[in-house]
Amino acid sequence: MSTNAGPVYAGDEINALVLDPGTYTTRIGYSGDDFPKTIVPSLYAKDEDNSIHFDASLDYAKTKRQVLPILKDSLIEDWEGAVAQYRHYFDDVLKVDYEEQPILITEPVWGTTEYRQKLIETFYEEFNFPALYLAKTPSCVSFQQGRLTCLVVDIGHDSVSVTPVVDGICLLRNLMKTHYAGLFLNDQIKDTLVSSFSKLDLSPTYKIKTKTAVEYPLAAQYVARDLPESITESYDQTQQRRIFTEAKELLLETPEKRLNSSNAQQAAAYKEELKKEENERTMEAPLGQVFNTCLERFAWADLLFDPASYPFKDQSLADKYLPNSGELSLSSPYDDYRPIKRARKGETGPATPTPAPDSADPNKIRGLSQLVNHAISNIDIDLRTAIASTIIVTGGSSMIPQLNDRLNAELLSANPALKIKIHASGTSLERTTQAWMGGSVLASLGTFHQMWVSKAEYEEAGAERILTQRFR
Amino acid sequence: MSANDVLDVLNVQRDDLTQPAKKKARSEAAPAPKSGISRELYNLIGANTPPILVNMGNNRMKDRKLRVSPWTKMPFVPNERAGKAPTLHHWEKGAKELLMETSKDKPYYFDKFVVSVDIPEMVDEELFNQFMVEIKERQKQMAQKFKTSLHNKVEAQKANPLGASSALTVKKEDAPTVVKEEPTKDDSVKEASGETPLVSSNGKEPTELADQQETEAENKPLEAIDAMDVDEEEASGPLPWTYEETKLLFEFCKNFELKWFVINDRFPLKYGRSLEDLKEQFYAMCLMIMTHKSIGNPSLIDSLKAFLKPAEIERKHYLLNLLKRTPSEIAEESLLVIEARRFEIAAKKMLMERANLLSLLDLPQAALSVQQYQSSQGLGNLYSQLMIMDKNQRKKSQQKVLQMASDPVPPPIPVAASSLHKRDFQTHLQQYLSGYLKQQPQRPEDSAIQQLLSKKLTAKEEEAYGLFYHANERINPGVILRSTQRLSGLQQRQSVFRAVNNMLQELDIPTAGGTAWKPNMPTRKTMAKYDELTKAVVALLEVKKVKDKLEAEIELIKSQRELR
Ligand SMILES: Nc1ncnc2c1ncn2[C@@H]1O[C@H](COP(=O)(O)OP(=O)(O)OP(=O)(O)O)[C@@H](O)[C@H]1O
Ligand SMILES: [Mg+2]
Repeated sequence: MSTNAGPVYAGDEINALVLDPGTYTTRIGYSGDDFPKTIVPSLYAKDEDNSIHFDASLDYAKTKRQVLPILKDSLIEDWEGAVAQYRHYFDDVLKVDYEEQPILITEPVWGTTEYRQKLIETFYEEFNFPALYLAKTPSCVSFQQGRLTCLVVDIGHDSVSVTPVVDGICLLRNLMKTHYAGLFLNDQIKDTLVSSFSKLDLSPTYKIKTKTAVEYPLAAQYVARDLPESITESYDQTQQRRIFTEAKELLLETPEKRLNSSNAQQAAAYKEELKKEENERTMEAPLGQVFNTCLERFAWADLLFDPASYPFKDQSLADKYLPNSGELSLSSPYDDYRPIKRARKGETGPATPTPAPDSADPNKIRGLSQLVNHAISNIDIDLRTAIASTIIVTGGSSMIPQLNDRLNAELLSANPALKIKIHASGTSLERTTQAWMGGSVLASLGTFHQMWVSKAEYEEAGAERILTQRFR
Repeated sequence: MSANDVLDVLNVQRDDLTQPAKKKARSEAAPAPKSGISRELYNLIGANTPPILVNMGNNRMKDRKLRVSPWTKMPFVPNERAGKAPTLHHWEKGAKELLMETSKDKPYYFDKFVVSVDIPEMVDEELFNQFMVEIKERQKQMAQKFKTSLHNKVEAQKANPLGASSALTVKKEDAPTVVKEEPTKDDSVKEASGETPLVSSNGKEPTELADQQETEAENKPLEAIDAMDVDEEEASGPLPWTYEETKLLFEFCKNFELKWFVINDRFPLKYGRSLEDLKEQFYAMCLMIMTHKSIGNPSLIDSLKAFLKPAEIERKHYLLNLLKRTPSEIAEESLLVIEARRFEIAAKKMLMERANLLSLLDLPQAALSVQQYQSSQGLGNLYSQLMIMDKNQRKKSQQKVLQMASDPVPPPIPVAASSLHKRDFQTHLQQYLSGYLKQQPQRPEDSAIQQLLSKKLTAKEEEAYGLFYHANERINPGVILRSTQRLSGLQQRQSVFRAVNNMLQELDIPTAGGTAWKPNMPTRKTMAKYDELTKAVVALLEVKKVKDKLEAEIELIKSQRELR
């Protein structure tokens, strides 16, 4: 620490590592940087001989090579893959000196106590870091934005989550989460392409050698590549995913209002209005078929706001997404057992922010606006105005054009007396790395360094104490 | 090869003597032995040394800058007292040995920011039980008091619907007292940790409450009371606070630094407490402990006493209703607010006018008047002002002479009262009064000037006194010297002006010289004449120019004709 500069911005660089594992990508870098050193897909390639590979190997077609996801729902599922991935990037890419640097790991708000314990213990065991810290993703985002009291709306890959943050601490009981996010969009796009563009060949790029561009209904003209035998399903799926991701980033645009409103006549009129030539966009499938979308691309973006109106045509996909209202029956790490249902008839509405579920229809499906709105209305009245005027929208899927405008309009009309303000930072790269950046800010603050937990302290104080009091 | 050689080759003669002596001295002082390419380059510059100082690297300042100050990667232990803290590494300025020495037993710089809130220690179980009995008693009393007071208000309101607003104000007083107390308490408890979410959110409430619609105020209290009834039953019902739970609460308050929203969020769900329950228990217990141990300052204890759960709940009810307003209600309300503002402004204006009038009536400003009119500018002001008044008054008096005769005589008003700086506030009445005073035959302080003015002057006298009536000229306030007066004849282009000046010199007319070109004796008459003269000269010059041009043209045409 330079004695002159230190006190001014309260920073003290200790070169900590910051790891932000997401379902779609994992971001690793050094604290104090404004961008992660590596952003890699949260996938690993596993060969027949159980050897694990990363980087270019993920895209290389090889006999019986599986490409597997490491996380699900922002939580590490495949520990073997996770440890291998982190080790690969720590050792081979960043060349980390374990003894000297602590590591800050971001975690979602919904991790169970067992999961968090496993995460910490795995890290102490597998890597030789002097200390570590678990930071909650919404807290990090709030730090990145410099707004310590806010509502963080994270529209990621596997989940949409809404978390109030007060003074940089997440309110666990007000958390809302659905799975109508990026992956859901992928599946919906696939569903639509398969059903309404039946002649479209959705083979991924790795299968072809050369191609000629043709207008859609025509059959694809291409030369196939010689491929090794028995390419696995998981590899093929991962490659195919790119088509949908590309479609998402290229075509989607949020319509101003719901496409399927209850008034059928109005809805039809609005759809008609959107069916203009200037709203048409084309995209080239890997095999060279150029197809044209117009209403579809609006409908896809509308999905996030109104998932109930777009049932899957493919039953297997429909089974994957059960109706989701965003309510979580979450027991916080502070509850050692499920609450006894006490007969509190006079539950004095505003005084108790504990969400009273819309018990009328527990299976109700909540779109983005309803989710945020519900979260706002569950917050203590003294906090509500502050929270509603600092809504931070983050996550890669929030980059769909006009998404913020639509969200803003719907929230305003639902809460006329509240001052609603949405804050979203500019580029798509920033939206996906916001949590990492917040972690980087945190880990380079001088006042933060007392928060690191060493293995010795962890063992002495016990998992429960550390989890509830330090990594809060 | 030196520069001289080059000059020699080029056959250029050079006279060394023309070099200034000073320069020579410098070039003699400089020569440091050079070698290699730098010498060759230096020679090319030659004896003709450039005016820049060429730094040849023998500068000590530069040497000092080049020395690198050492930075050392130092291990440190944040918050060492807590024990088991990890050892981290950062870079520090200074040599390793030195840093090792100094930092041996110095705590980490940022350790001083590790603070915790000051919360009274929880007592043992026996004392706790004793306290709980007392607390319950006190709460019952307070709740009862609050309820009856509320009921009374509602009753009063019902009996007298017009008095709704007064009931509202009473209520408003109630809620904010609680609100105000809280932040102070929080502050004093928290001390070091700056931000209090409670302060920020609560600080707004009184104003928000003020916006409350009266209709809501009429309906709500009853509901609130009902809610309280339920609440109270509960509080006295099955689950009173146990020792363990209270202890846990104190732990949470310490851990989460009294951030109530977070405490409420993390407090185990199994106890089923609301935010208000938590606050009530904590504050009450703190109060008991503090009075028991006789610690804590009296203001803190007072504010702790002031916390009342039903009042808190009621306040939140109000806020909630505030947020439930529909857009049309909001619009209507803002309209009302604007209207109210307008009334307020109008009232303020009226009050101000009245105050002005009053001050005019009873405040003679004698002290001011003498000072003010001693300078010549003051006199000028007074004069112009009197002239204006005179005009007004003559007009008015012609119309109102008859009415005035019957008016009672107002108290005398000093002239200064209606001096220029008060003109803005001059009301009709004021003008009328001053006009009326002019009519009075015996004025207490008739100045010589006024006497002079009241006399009818002959043209000759006017001349002698230098009096002049600016009939329809506009005059700027303040003193102007006639020599700097802007004559209309002098508003000319620079070139024309020069020609005019030449002409005047030719005519031998004396001017002040320089660029002023004004007469030496700028009396009014001379200035007028001078103005006339310049205008005439300008006109003449113009005519001459046109004439010259025409002549030249004629010449041209003639010559063309001849050529043909
Ligand atoms: N410009 C874009 N338009 C639409 N979607 C995008 C855009 N850029 C990225 N995405 C999508 O955003 C998602 C990735 O977002 P993000 O990186 O925030 O997720 P994550 O943090 O890895 O996952 P999670 O938060 O669910 O664990 C992917 O589904 C990706 O396709
Ligand atoms: Mg994410």
